Amino acid sequence: MQNIKHYRMFLWSILIYGLIFSGCTPEHRFIKKAVFKGTNRISITFAGPVDKKWAEDLKNYAIYEKPDPDILLTISSAKVTDDPCTVILHFEDELNQDKPHVLTLKEIISEGKSIGSAVITVKKLYLGYLFSILIGAMLIHNFVFTKYLGLCVFFGTSQKKSTAIGMGITFTLVMVFSAMMSWFLYQFVLKPFRLDFLQIVVFIGMVSLSVQAVDTILRKINPALFKAFGVYLVLVIANCIILAVPLILADNEYNAWESMMLAFGAGLGFLIALFLMSSVRERLEIAKVPPTYKGLPIAFVVAGLFALAFMGFSGMAIF
Amino acid sequence: MDPELINLAIEGLAVLGCIGLVFGIGLALAAHKFAVEINPKIEEVKEVLAGAQ
Repeated sequence: MQNIKHYRMFLWSILIYGLIFSGCTPEHRFIKKAVFKGTNRISITFAGPVDKKWAEDLKNYAIYEKPDPDILLTISSAKVTDDPCTVILHFEDELNQDKPHVLTLKEIISEGKSIGSAVITVKKLYLGYLFSILIGAMLIHNFVFTKYLGLCVFFGTSQKKSTAIGMGITFTLVMVFSAMMSWFLYQFVLKPFRLDFLQIVVFIGMVSLSVQAVDTILRKINPALFKAFGVYLVLVIANCIILAVPLILADNEYNAWESMMLAFGAGLGFLIALFLMSSVRERLEIAKVPPTYKGLPIAFVVAGLFALAFMGFSGMAIF
Repeated sequence: MDPELINLAIEGLAVLGCIGLVFGIGLALAAHKFAVEINPKIEEVKEVLAGAQ
């Protein structure tokens, strides 16, 4: 028993370390790390001082983006910094940092002797990329306030804080569940059979299936939770965010982790939107609102103000 | 009609039909396994009550 536990922990730690360090693994014994700096620079750190004349000769470098090895990027200059172990490559154009870049260094010369050629991959930290998808879906491209999706359920369940939180949590759970199923179905059934034009129909079925499944299972396994959240489950089907997320996943060809992060971010974003809105609407109940604006009209005005505030996030990028 | 398109349509029908069948059976089994006994008296009492609201 104890052994199995250790074994599992070992596997988990390998997985986590793999994710964390997959962004900066050295692939050559003489190169310590190679990372993106700013928008158009790459900094390479060597294990020892390199020959200045070798390092500043542009013919010694070749770099391309991972998917197309034929298109070499043009390097405008290479400079050795004050620390003789670090070389900074400047590029004419901005680098697309979402894609891994393959960099070839020919016949590295250090302290008079040749070390040999090296091929290394420069890429962003993967966890950072996942995190940026999460924050992006949650705040920067908040589905309610910047894409105006799911408004029906949004106005329907944001009258009280307790309802809003219940709906938000239920929604997040079902969202992650159905997005993962849709991702699986899209990648392994629709794409191989060239049926991707039917994605909307299939995803609608998938959403209702997952709602029904969660409903059936939750009713038996945890009746207390079902009593609290069961009412909102049916409403989830009527929400278009839950359909938008699988379509975005399919369009962007996300992998499993990225899909999960997007779904989770969308759910949390909806929860945040509902919570903010319900807090305002609870206060509006006791405010003196002109009779023509009472109820939904003033709620729409408030939602518009929130959308304006969320525009402050637009165009931001993390990492 | 292009036979390739017809093939695609038939394949699509078969694949989606199979998926639907599998998930349908899955849901039915789940409903059977996780069935919750509801007291039949609740329905009876509801029938007898006026039910205006």
